[in-house]
Amino acid sequence: MEKNFSSWDMALTQLDEVAKEINLDQNIYNILKKPKRTLIVSIPIRMDNGRIKVFTGFRVQHNINRGPAKGGIRYHPSVTLDEMKALAMLMTWKCAVTGIPYGGAKGGIICDPRKLSLGEIEKLTRRYISEIISIIGPEKDIPAPDVNTNPRIMAWIMDTYSMDKGYSVPGVVTGKPLSIGGSLGRNTATARGIMFTLMSTVKKLNLDFFQQRIVIQGFGNVGGNLARLLQKEGCKIIAVSDVEGGIYNPQGLDCFKVSKFLTETGSVIGFKDAEQITNQELLSLNCDVLIPAALENQITEENAGKVRTKVIVEAANGPTTPEADKILNEKGIFIVPDILANAGGVTVSYFEWVQGLQSYFWTEREVNLKLRDIMGKAFENVWRTSRERKVSMRMAAYILAVSRVAEATKIRGLYP
Amino acid sequence: MLKKIECFLNPSRLDKVKDELVKIGIDGMSVSEVKGFGRQRGYLEGEKIINKAVKFLPKIKVEIVVDEEIVDKIIDFIKELCAAKTIGAGKIFVLPVEDAVRIRTAEVGKSAIY
Repeated sequence: MEKNFSSWDMALTQLDEVAKEINLDQNIYNILKKPKRTLIVSIPIRMDNGRIKVFTGFRVQHNINRGPAKGGIRYHPSVTLDEMKALAMLMTWKCAVTGIPYGGAKGGIICDPRKLSLGEIEKLTRRYISEIISIIGPEKDIPAPDVNTNPRIMAWIMDTYSMDKGYSVPGVVTGKPLSIGGSLGRNTATARGIMFTLMSTVKKLNLDFFQQRIVIQGFGNVGGNLARLLQKEGCKIIAVSDVEGGIYNPQGLDCFKVSKFLTETGSVIGFKDAEQITNQELLSLNCDVLIPAALENQITEENAGKVRTKVIVEAANGPTTPEADKILNEKGIFIVPDILANAGGVTVSYFEWVQGLQSYFWTEREVNLKLRDIMGKAFENVWRTSRERKVSMRMAAYILAVSRVAEATKIRGLYP
Repeated sequence: MLKKIECFLNPSRLDKVKDELVKIGIDGMSVSEVKGFGRQRGYLEGEKIINKAVKFLPKIKVEIVVDEEIVDKIIDFIKELCAAKTIGAGKIFVLPVEDAVRIRTAEVGKSAIY
């Protein structure tokens, strides 16, 4: 619980630092430090055993001055209102730094989906959406998948909302299955966005893309797809890991074989042609690019000193603690922050929403090219800000994001 | 949608590119001999630059019109066949093609090129 309280404090501290750096107008600051809308709902469900259980759900919209709110919905026992507020604020900054016309939101239900049947999860989802239906919609707030939620749940969200309206509304949610208006390229979007970010990084730092020894922590949707994409481009991945541990081969791993091995055995551990290592050892490997693509708070005050890489690209959300960030910066490691690096996911979500509104569909190539364009521009802007103001890429990303939201808030004025 | 792949390659790679692309089902290509320079200003790897002069190197321009769906596959193929990772290996451009017409049969669009 303590960690969740601190996530909101951390979000506010981050905003404070940026506000000081850009001399943010105190009035605007007062608006930005509070979420616009916070909804807490009780969700009574008849469980499979016949008894009624009441769950608690949240939907927080932090800021909608640049466009409708956007953010995932997570099902997890540790969900708290403070965590939702922090993540909603983070979404505001992520959308702003990428330049897509969205504000930030987040939602969640306190529950352990592993202990629920599929039917119970469906009822939970439908009743939750019904409880928050007045504040969501294609022009208001568009949910998406997050921790423990998937395309199937997004389909139930779309269906519940559509039933209420009396007609199909594909634009109310993203991350839908293809058959009801999902976008091609959505699955690999985050990974592809990270690859584009890495390409921009090596170009700016005058490094040879193919010579980089890359280490990836996590081999799930993001890490696994990223490893395969990079290998296909001709890059050398020397270590990867999953929850159970990592594998290392300084000569390079065949990530397609690793994927196959993972599908067959359930873990990357035991893959031949590689040395077995722990996740901690993986983070301190001698390498050129380290990509944490697993959980938050992986690089901490304790292990940051041991990190031996030139570049970190944050594929996961918040993989580096603020204390670790200071240590890494002092060591001269170039860090591409999460809100910039992993924005590929929300960008293709945005494409899915646009396609839904137009009732049209794009080819996968079109999606990927547009993604590359947006990620490239976002990187270029953050890079330029970082050089001009002589600040880290993280600070530069926040400066850009907060300035854009502040500008939109200011120019729209105050109602009434 | 049709796309045109226009690439500028090292002449020594042409036959290999032609043979391999035919193998994966390309039904036509146009080739021209051209001269050009890129960021290397016409110098080969390791060659000494004299008076900052820009030189032209002989290159081959290959033009292929294909369906959008196989563009990425063709790009990957050409990258591999043309020794990607070496300086002066060339460039590939992808252009939109509005329409195609096979004059003899009046076929249009995709059907005109396959």
